[in-house]
Amino acid sequence: MATLNWRTINIDALDPESPANFDLSTLTPAVAPVSTADVQALAGQIRQLLRGGDSEGALQGALENPPYGADERGKDVHLATIIEILQSIRQADMSPMLGRLYKAPGGTEALDVLMKYIYKGMAHTSAPSTATKITPQPTGFSQVHSSRSGEGGGQAMSVLLSWHEKLVEIAGPGCIVRVMTDRRTV
Amino acid sequence: MSQSLRPYLQCVRSSLTAALSLSNFASQASERHNVPEIEAASCPEVLLNPLTVSRNENEKVFIEPSINSVRISIRIKQADEIEHILVHKFTRFLTQRAEAFFILRRKPVKGYDISFLITNFHTEEMLKHKLVDFIIQFMEEVDKEISEMKLFLNARARFVAESFLTPFD
Repeated sequence: MATLNWRTINIDALDPESPANFDLSTLTPAVAPVSTADVQALAGQIRQLLRGGDSEGALQGALENPPYGADERGKDVHLATIIEILQSIRQADMSPMLGRLYKAPGGTEALDVLMKYIYKGMAHTSAPSTATKITPQPTGFSQVHSSRSGEGGGQAMSVLLSWHEKLVEIAGPGCIVRVMTDRRTV
Repeated sequence: MSQSLRPYLQCVRSSLTAALSLSNFASQASERHNVPEIEAASCPEVLLNPLTVSRNENEKVFIEPSINSVRISIRIKQADEIEHILVHKFTRFLTQRAEAFFILRRKPVKGYDISFLITNFHTEEMLKHKLVDFIIQFMEEVDKEISEMKLFLNARARFVAESFLTPFD
């Protein structure tokens, strides 16, 4: 008598023809593999542009070369670069800069990539917080403190949120749909 | 509405509007079945990339789209233990009455406090922008509700403690 309960076996997983075993690589366009060193070299060039005050050129350069073929570490390096650029740009400059990027050749693709990074940035920096963050209630004047705690990473998020708002104004909701459907993840 | 809440809700609104483009899709695994693909997860090709919108690490929304269903999970702000308990009680109250809410899921996704599941049948029956409005309104109201409950709780605790301790005065 077998110890395994055969009623609980998922037979679809064993059938090569079943939709559960659909080959996702057929949906992914071929991307060239990129090494982490290349991503870091690109990040160095972009930082130089940023230090020179050319934040628009830096953003454009970063968005034109998304490392789709890189591994997790390379992608994280590029994400950090883009977040740094986004945080260095003032709120008043966002909309005109996005408008110029949109009009440039290949602008819609660049803005789609930016949208991918905005969502990734929001997912990434908000790693699941542990329950230990919750502090015991101080007795008495508790409501005085309540607004202060729990603002971890709020500053970086509000930058990303305002970028998101401006980007949707210019590129439209189709931009978000393309983030959801594109199998080339950043 | 506070200054940082508005862009957060705006971002959730545009993400939801984009994610709620659903179509009817029968199950590929078994004939004459029609299941929400995001829950069944039996065909990887109809699941889309999930999106996260977060205001800070304690307040975020996780949107998992698929061809015929979208799962929306909300993490409600919990600054201290009392709010944690209040949120737990409040979401439990709602999820026990999930049938009356149509789109409410009985169990939240791990790491979140409350989840909604919207299928193509919901978007066919109800207006899409009203569904989005409902989620946004829920998010606005729930913060208000929790902080109000916390104030009531503290006031009541103070009153109880005072009247308990008066004989020893």
